[in-house]
Amino acid sequence: MKRTFLGFAVVLFLASLAIADVPRPDKPNKPDKSIDTSMTIRLDRNAHDARLIIPRAQIQQLRAQLDEIGGSDDSAAATGTFTRTQTIVSGTLLSLAFVFGGMWFAKSGRAGSKGITAAVMILTLGSIATLVLGNAGPPPEARSITGKMFSDSVHMYKFGSGAIKLEVSDTEQMPELIVPDPPKTASE
Amino acid sequence: MQRVDDLSLPAISSANLLIAGFVLCCALAAMLIGAFPLQLSILTVFLFAGVHNLMEFRYFVARMPIRWGRSRTYYLVAIFGVIVLTAAYLTLYFSSGNWIWSSDNYAPLILTWNSAFIFWIGALLYLRGKQKSGDWGWAIPLMLFLAAAAWAAPQYWSLSLVYIHPLVALWFLERQIRRTKPEWLRAYHLCLASIPAFLILIWIFAAGQPNLTDETRLFWRIAQHSGSEILPGISSHLLVATHVFLESIHYFAWILLVPLVDRRAIPWRLNEIPMFSKGNGIRKIFAAFCVVAVGVVVALWLGFAVDYTTTRDVYFAFAIGHVLAEFPFLVKMI
Repeated sequence: MKRTFLGFAVVLFLASLAIADVPRPDKPNKPDKSIDTSMTIRLDRNAHDARLIIPRAQIQQLRAQLDEIGGSDDSAAATGTFTRTQTIVSGTLLSLAFVFGGMWFAKSGRAGSKGITAAVMILTLGSIATLVLGNAGPPPEARSITGKMFSDSVHMYKFGSGAIKLEVSDTEQMPELIVPDPPKTASE
Repeated sequence: MQRVDDLSLPAISSANLLIAGFVLCCALAAMLIGAFPLQLSILTVFLFAGVHNLMEFRYFVARMPIRWGRSRTYYLVAIFGVIVLTAAYLTLYFSSGNWIWSSDNYAPLILTWNSAFIFWIGALLYLRGKQKSGDWGWAIPLMLFLAAAAWAAPQYWSLSLVYIHPLVALWFLERQIRRTKPEWLRAYHLCLASIPAFLILIWIFAAGQPNLTDETRLFWRIAQHSGSEILPGISSHLLVATHVFLESIHYFAWILLVPLVDRRAIPWRLNEIPMFSKGNGIRKIFAAFCVVAVGVVVALWLGFAVDYTTTRDVYFAFAIGHVLAEFPFLVKMI
């Protein structure tokens, strides 16, 4: 036991010696990943798809900005790659947890108790509710980029999303978002 | 006619005093911390961080038997785990520059460390289960579930340790009260029940507050430690206040409440420590350790006085050692 304590003390002492000279971390500077510009949003009755047109000059400006920042793209890519590994490992561990948990539960002989039955029922109902609510979403107007996005009924969601075509233009001076604005039907 | 004795006020029990003192202290702390989270963070760490570590060290040493007997493997695994995991943590921490919160490049190493930590606790539970009768089969699925969570969301996992660690002291205290002061148990449970109420009050007050300033490196570090970069949607005022409040209770428990319920944890009663008082103990080594530990506390105060920010960084890096050291004793008390 004396040896264990002495060993512990020596390790701590050496660790402090080794670490004493390491420089302290500084607050990282967050470089600006944006450029200042203006944008036009135009409702177009003849347009079929939403299109975001970005002037080539501004794309180049943004690319230069990103190049200056450097490594962040690599780390983002690394994270993306690792996420798959994380998903696989965490999924495997979770499955094993359920398998071992189930085995323990069955072996412990508690499967028949009222409390456990109630808990299982609540969990099952909760899972079903999650499945049902998980598919519920905002109305179609908020899930497609059209002129209807500007209506009051969509404003309450504070957001909207939908498919869009990104284009680069040599002629445009500023970014332009063209939003299809189909004429109202009789039912509307 | 009533006797004079009957008219006198009912005697106030020590348990009632505990409730009154605890609630009063929590109310005062919640008010001050809610209003001045950064200032109180600096002050509490300066005053209590080193002292509470000393008290924890003192408490654990008092609980450590001289002869490990059947627990030999358990203590060897425990000490090995504390040393290796602490060394690995420090290496990662200083090589990546505050590793928990940044550096995606270190993600695989962080995940490996988290897994090793969880499986080390699993090994302790397994060894403890072998010593005690009863069904310990729940430990395996629980550890696997925690490991899955740590892999799925490593940053949230690390942040959860920051917030859960202060509560571990309250668990220790509960187990200790059961052993040495059972008449306080009910009162203590009432005290514990009051903590969520104070937290809710802090959240109600702080939720609408703007983010705390992160102009200086110290303020940024305090906010970052509380998870402001992991939870950007939540006011850093709320996060820092919550963390400081929990940490303050943690310090309060170790410095004041644990010695109140356990005679062996009173700092100057060294004869209550088997390692020091028994003939086959390690008296000299223990005395040297105590002197070094007191020296470290004084050095921390000096360090805080000279360069608070750097000392704080170094302290919280090494603090992982005491976080890890808690687990073997906690598992031993289950």
